[in-house]
Amino acid sequence: MARHRKFGMEHNKAKWGIIFILPSLIFFAVFSFYPIINAFYLSFHRKDLLSLRAPKFIGFDNYTYLFGSSNFWNSVLSTTFFTLGTFIPLLVFSLILAAFIMSRKRFQKFFQMAFYSPAVLSSVVAAVIWLLVFDPRGLGNQMLNTLFNSPGVDHKWLATDTMLRLSTIIVYFWKYIGYFTIIFIAGISSIPKQLHEAAYIDGANIWQGFWRVTFPLLKPTVLLVSVMSMIQCLKTFSTQYLFTVSGTPSKPINVITLNIYNTAIRDHRIGRASAMSVLLFIIMLFFTGMQIKGSKSDDVTYM
Amino acid sequence: MRNNKIKHSILGTVGDALIWIFLIGTAALILMPLLFMFTSSIMPSKDIFKMPYPWITSEFKWQNYWTAIRGPDGDFMYLRNIFNSFFVSSVVSFTTVILSALTGYGLAKFPFKGRTVVFLLIMSTMMIPFEAIMIPMYMVVINMGLQDTYPGLILPFLTNAFGIFMMRQYLITFPDEILDAARIDGASEPKIFWRVILPNAGPAIATLAILTFRTQWDNLLWPLLIAQTDKMKTIPLYITRFTAETHTDEGAMMAIAAIASIPMFILFFSLSKYFVSGASLTSGSKG
Amino acid sequence: MKQCFLFLIIVVLLVTSSFAANVEIVYWTHTDTARTELENRYIEEFEAMYPNVTIKRVYNEASKMGDLILTAFSGNVGPDIFNLQTEQLFSYIVNGRVSPVDPKALGVKNVEEYVAQYSKGTFQPVTYDGEIYGVPLELTNWCIFINKRLFREGGLNPETDYPKTWEEMMEVSEKLTQRNGEIITRRAFDFRYPYYLVSMLPMVQQLGGDIISPDGKEAIYNEEAWLKVLTYFRDWGIHGKNLGNPTYTNARKTWNKDNGDMIMCLSGLYQEGRLKTDNPEFYDSGEWMVVPFPVFEDAVNDLGAASYGHFWMVNAQSSKTKQEWAWKFLDYMRGHAEEFLEYVYLVQPIKTLVESDLFKNMPYSNVFLEDLEKSNSVYINENGKMIEEKIGIAVQAVMLSGTDPADALEQLKKDVQEILDDSY
Repeated sequence: MARHRKFGMEHNKAKWGIIFILPSLIFFAVFSFYPIINAFYLSFHRKDLLSLRAPKFIGFDNYTYLFGSSNFWNSVLSTTFFTLGTFIPLLVFSLILAAFIMSRKRFQKFFQMAFYSPAVLSSVVAAVIWLLVFDPRGLGNQMLNTLFNSPGVDHKWLATDTMLRLSTIIVYFWKYIGYFTIIFIAGISSIPKQLHEAAYIDGANIWQGFWRVTFPLLKPTVLLVSVMSMIQCLKTFSTQYLFTVSGTPSKPINVITLNIYNTAIRDHRIGRASAMSVLLFIIMLFFTGMQIKGSKSDDVTYM
Repeated sequence: MRNNKIKHSILGTVGDALIWIFLIGTAALILMPLLFMFTSSIMPSKDIFKMPYPWITSEFKWQNYWTAIRGPDGDFMYLRNIFNSFFVSSVVSFTTVILSALTGYGLAKFPFKGRTVVFLLIMSTMMIPFEAIMIPMYMVVINMGLQDTYPGLILPFLTNAFGIFMMRQYLITFPDEILDAARIDGASEPKIFWRVILPNAGPAIATLAILTFRTQWDNLLWPLLIAQTDKMKTIPLYITRFTAETHTDEGAMMAIAAIASIPMFILFFSLSKYFVSGASLTSGSKG
Repeated sequence: MKQCFLFLIIVVLLVTSSFAANVEIVYWTHTDTARTELENRYIEEFEAMYPNVTIKRVYNEASKMGDLILTAFSGNVGPDIFNLQTEQLFSYIVNGRVSPVDPKALGVKNVEEYVAQYSKGTFQPVTYDGEIYGVPLELTNWCIFINKRLFREGGLNPETDYPKTWEEMMEVSEKLTQRNGEIITRRAFDFRYPYYLVSMLPMVQQLGGDIISPDGKEAIYNEEAWLKVLTYFRDWGIHGKNLGNPTYTNARKTWNKDNGDMIMCLSGLYQEGRLKTDNPEFYDSGEWMVVPFPVFEDAVNDLGAASYGHFWMVNAQSSKTKQEWAWKFLDYMRGHAEEFLEYVYLVQPIKTLVESDLFKNMPYSNVFLEDLEKSNSVYINENGKMIEEKIGIAVQAVMLSGTDPADALEQLKKDVQEILDDSY
């Protein structure tokens, strides 16, 4: 009798579980799965957005074109440069800042808010501000010139390839550093104080305390920040879009997402743009998977 | 032993001071562009490019704010755009919270066949860049006849994988005993959701609502495609339009940027504890 | 007999009621405060004349129009009337998305009569397969605007020392540019990046080169001409004489301010209208002048900047009734060409307008007209925007990245050839 009732309850639970998730699933079906499947389908076709003719099936031609296209590889390079150049400093600095802030007894909240405030702005506002800062006559040059005592030098923030890439990285870093610092602070504050105290009693100094106790226990947080920031960087669009639309050169910062947008909207080549989207999706899945796998090997607990 | 302690404290003091300098210096650098935005919004454009930059201007031009609100055509459309941004962001926030909580609850507390697959499937949608699905999504909304409407702006953002993930993580730790007690008392599942789960998920809900609001406030691409007439546009579109047309009135441009930022700053400062705790809800490290 | 009569009445009622049925025309255009005011007035007048017709005018900024119209058409919800710059129009024509002109609705007997009303060569950008696809909203070409006061401040006399050749332009600019170290604080002149097809390609054509070979098959014709122009841009940029580059503020917008930032700029007749609204004191002071587009010293062809324009077009997917009313409305607007010129400084190239006193009395209109007569229409190609983007990459490479002009040219040739071969 009891077993019967338990079985009934489980069945009931399963039913309700499905009912609860159904609305979202329908939503995702229409607004996520359908579009990505559509993009996948279109990637094997040739279609001009303006043409009234039906898409023409061309098999893997779009993909072979992309693999042989210097324009596409330039995008891959730009995206890689941007991603590595942004998420690594983000990871390292947010950890350092979090550790420093937590080592202070006061003003913790002030620093958190100060670092987080750029995240509150919209990307359009950020782009507008930084475009003025990076103007040859703007604050960017002025600050560097005062610092290095080199009056009149134009650091070409938006002109040369490397500086332009660096400029986009700076904007992104500025926007997200606070967010990831706060994540680390939450992680650090969830480590029980007793562990640190035990270490100090054993004779460890502050640095050893950090490396031997805090850092290993932060591994899950490090992984989280790593994956999140990498995905964000791979998906970057607005900064590069707003910069190029305002007249900066496009080639050095023609990240994959911007290339997809331009190929579809400016060049009308939706088939090719879809192929690029599929490739980007695969790249993102791959890197996320690798990160998760790479971290599973050393799980640390304090049990 | 004593020598060690002294060495430790001298090094400690120097290190300490260095840390302070690092923190204060970084904070100053981070805040500098914001200060730039606010100071340049009240000065005439020609001062903005003066070398060196006059942090405190001699000629206050409060008129920049008036020009910003008045708009290039003098129709004060900015006010309508601000309303649109508020309205769309609020509605999206609301639906995201409800749907994420519902879905997160289902995934957290109701074992069913294929639950993990569904969870992973939903998580994978986080890796789809918007530009990739923008055109098919546009077609879907066009076929519903929703271009240039509020539903058209809102529909694609009813919920998202991040929100679901957040709610699921939070609800997994919700005590089963409370739920079972409610069931024994005869409450139906929907009732349990409304009366037990939602009221007690306050922090998570508030955080999700704020984060979603902020993300939606920032949305540029989708309104660009869907909001065709001025009346339906959102703040980012107004800013891009203004900067494109009166590109050389930098003072007014900064005033617009400032106006667009002030609501978010107010929200941020008054509810900062939720911004901070939001990060902690996703940090995943067990405490 | 009675039945016949009844039948006739029903038919007449049906016919007249279909005329009386409400028609809504959707018209998309780009922002321009003066033109918006003008066209709204025409819409009111038109709607008063034909109460069953409503016209909904939607505007967006010019740089976004291309994207918006494209996405709307790709979803088959394009507007009934719209206008785009000539370089962007061609794909719509080639893909059959717009209709050929309707002479009757435009108030003429046939297409030939329509064409005859305009200056020679007006319809070249919108002619395809023997049909004509648009009504001209404006035809523009660019000349050099000079701020006389700033010119004099640099120690030169604008009336006699203005640059007539590109070589002189570089010399004059070197003299007049002011800098703080490497940072330019006053530019003498700067180009209209990113409109390379309109301003840069003619420079190449002056030297006998072209984007495409005469047989239409090969990209980049006459590499020597291209090399000379790319070297000129290299010398203009940061690795050369540092006279300006795309990362500084847009030249023609800064020029209006008369605040010492910009001495000369490249723009069309409409710039005068903008100047009048932006800075009436400067406009009225007469301290500015317009001179022709410079020509290289050893140019093979005496060419001005390419002429381009905007055309109104009608959506081929709209109903026949809507299309007819669309052309009727366009006819109404083109009938007011003088007001477009007087209030918005836009030139619809109607013969009577160009020869009118109103036009002749516009400051320096003769300079524009003379240059226009020796200009080519802007290069039209279904993939025009893509080609322009590639040219831009080459120019940016030599100006900013320090790439050698020969290498940049090689890349450009490859890219454009690929676009030409890759017909969809």
